[in-house]
Amino acid sequence: MSNSEEPKATTTPYVVKEEIVAAGKWVKLEKTTYVDRAGSTRVWDTVKRTTRQINTEADGVGIIALLKRTLHKDCVVMVKQFRPPMGCHTLEFPAGLIDEGESAEAAALRELKEETGYKGEVVGVTPVTCIDPGLSNCTTQIVMVNINGDEGENINPTQQLGDAEFVEVLLLPLDEFQVKIDDLLKKEKTVVDAKVYIFAMGMVQAFFKPRELPVLKQ
Amino acid sequence: MSAFEASGIGEECGVFGCVAAGEWPTQLEVAQVLTLGLVALQHRGQESAGIVTSNGATPPTYAAHKGMGLVSTAFAPEALLKLRYGNLGICHTRYSTTGISELQNCQPFVVDTLHGQIAVAHNGELVNAAALRKRVMRHGVGLSTSSDSELITQLLALTPPMEERDAPDWVARIKNLMSETPTSYSLLVMFKDVIYAVRDPYGNRPLCIGRVVPVSKMHSSGAGEEDTEGWVVSSESCSFQSIGAKYYREVLPGEIVQISQHGVKSLSVVPRPEGDLPAFCIFEYVYFARPDSIFEGQMVYTVRQRCGRQLAIEAPTDADVVSTVPESATPAALGYAQQSGLPYIEVLCKNRYVGRTFIQPNTRLRQLGVAKKFGALTDNFAGKRVVLVDDSIVRGNTISPIIKLLKEAGATEVHIRVASPPIRFPCYMGINIPTKEELIANKPEFQDIAGYIGAASVKYLTVEGLVSAVQEGIASLRQKDEVIGSGSKRVGHCTACLTGKYPVELEW
Repeated sequence: MSNSEEPKATTTPYVVKEEIVAAGKWVKLEKTTYVDRAGSTRVWDTVKRTTRQINTEADGVGIIALLKRTLHKDCVVMVKQFRPPMGCHTLEFPAGLIDEGESAEAAALRELKEETGYKGEVVGVTPVTCIDPGLSNCTTQIVMVNINGDEGENINPTQQLGDAEFVEVLLLPLDEFQVKIDDLLKKEKTVVDAKVYIFAMGMVQAFFKPRELPVLKQ
Repeated sequence: MSAFEASGIGEECGVFGCVAAGEWPTQLEVAQVLTLGLVALQHRGQESAGIVTSNGATPPTYAAHKGMGLVSTAFAPEALLKLRYGNLGICHTRYSTTGISELQNCQPFVVDTLHGQIAVAHNGELVNAAALRKRVMRHGVGLSTSSDSELITQLLALTPPMEERDAPDWVARIKNLMSETPTSYSLLVMFKDVIYAVRDPYGNRPLCIGRVVPVSKMHSSGAGEEDTEGWVVSSESCSFQSIGAKYYREVLPGEIVQISQHGVKSLSVVPRPEGDLPAFCIFEYVYFARPDSIFEGQMVYTVRQRCGRQLAIEAPTDADVVSTVPESATPAALGYAQQSGLPYIEVLCKNRYVGRTFIQPNTRLRQLGVAKKFGALTDNFAGKRVVLVDDSIVRGNTISPIIKLLKEAGATEVHIRVASPPIRFPCYMGINIPTKEELIANKPEFQDIAGYIGAASVKYLTVEGLVSAVQEGIASLRQKDEVIGSGSKRVGHCTACLTGKYPVELEW
């Protein structure tokens, strides 16, 4: 975006105004007027959720839950479901929106229990992170959870899904995370969530090549 | 581990196996389960350890790791990494019986057969190994070790007469092996996605099966069939607790059991020649097994305690206190104290860091070595007459310095009560006993053994006393119908080293 006739002086970009173009039950489309770094006023198409709560900056949580059982491999709890916007099934971390008055941690444990049936405990939370900032202002916090798989209620867990929810729970061993995902992709028409795949690559790096630079093998 | 350990009597090995239940690839850490199983069997062998795992695929990929020393030394975490794709596996821990040992003698052995690779782990010693080696070599098979476990592996690789070209008949092959050699062997044979657990028809060496269940269900009665996470098979049941397995049943004498991801299936029970009784090694009860292991439905500790009671009945003593040579004689000493009414005290303090790592070349040094191993708890027995219970006197070299130590510390009399009969004969079934001439029971000194070792009196348990102490628990349990898996109503134990009566005719 070069423009040699514009003055060389730069400003800090900022949003001027936001006008709603269209709004649905869950999502709205806005026209965002902003001033760019060169000082020009421009317009951006922005998508926002209508559900964000007042007390929190994050729309929702994503959960990296590790199922730990004695003498068993540690497994990541994944969910597979049909996503209408994609038109196919996706492989994601369990996730959900934060309800009114909830902390990120509480939302994570609740969503995990509802979607997968597992009862976990929070061991860490990321800062508020953006998901698709060129499109929307949607944010999430990733919550790290450990599940004590030896406990009775976590041995044969039962999901508590809503009417329209059809969620399949998959347990993938952490030390073969990327391999297992690649296997799944070969078998079925599934698209894997970006956060999941990046995490898988990170795990491979950590397990097998901690001192090498990461290289994606074909 | 007193007299036996110092005199070099060795139990040859422990075997352990695991098959993950349900769908494969499994999330059960099979390599870890195998390692923990071996650690629990470490008392059966400290010289070396080996693991072989299979991924169960067609064709299967086997991964193996062998190492010298204790399991914790032989298996570093990096070694377990290469075993992590195993869905089943067998492993083995070995005891040194013949001086120098090489890694190539370490089990499990893996060989290629017509139908694919098999891995074999063996506990025991074939009574007709020499003759069998010649027969196998006459067939054109070369042997690269002196171990008769390799012999077994080669015998299994031989094609039985009626077998079809493409379908291996392992039951026929194993039966073929069993017809060639009567005893002694407890075997684990791993082929592709299955483990065959085999016990010789005399049941000379032990073997039992456990069921892996979720840790939280281990002690409750709520573990149903659907909770089964895996199956394990082991020389001793003491290994089950440490891996979250429940005791399932013994492998019967002569039985071939198939253990797979679908469960446990008895394929055959090969009978003994008519009239022959089973011959379970009685020394497993007396000394070798861990006290918390279960054989024939009874706990080893309980049997040893009963031996102590029987000893008190047969050989009471006019004395003040009863004590033990730590640690293996303790159950017997407690039994003796309970039966006799004498108080039980501790007189010796054992240095557990002094072990068989030292090979003392002569008697004098050996006696000094024993002195370093024990200290006297003087205040407990000074001025008293002590009954000291030991599990055996083999050469007489271990117990003499102990008696001297106690007398110098103030014991007025030391009476030795031995919770087993004297060993007089060699064992050909896997227990490495010193030569006949070295055994104290065969020497002229035995006539006045008390004088020879410096004790006020020495009494051994009789053979009849030992056998009744062992079998009492089996008979009463059978009456209550609690012995799991004891299809055969016949009970019998090998006492050859005590009586000279061998369970089978020995072939030279």
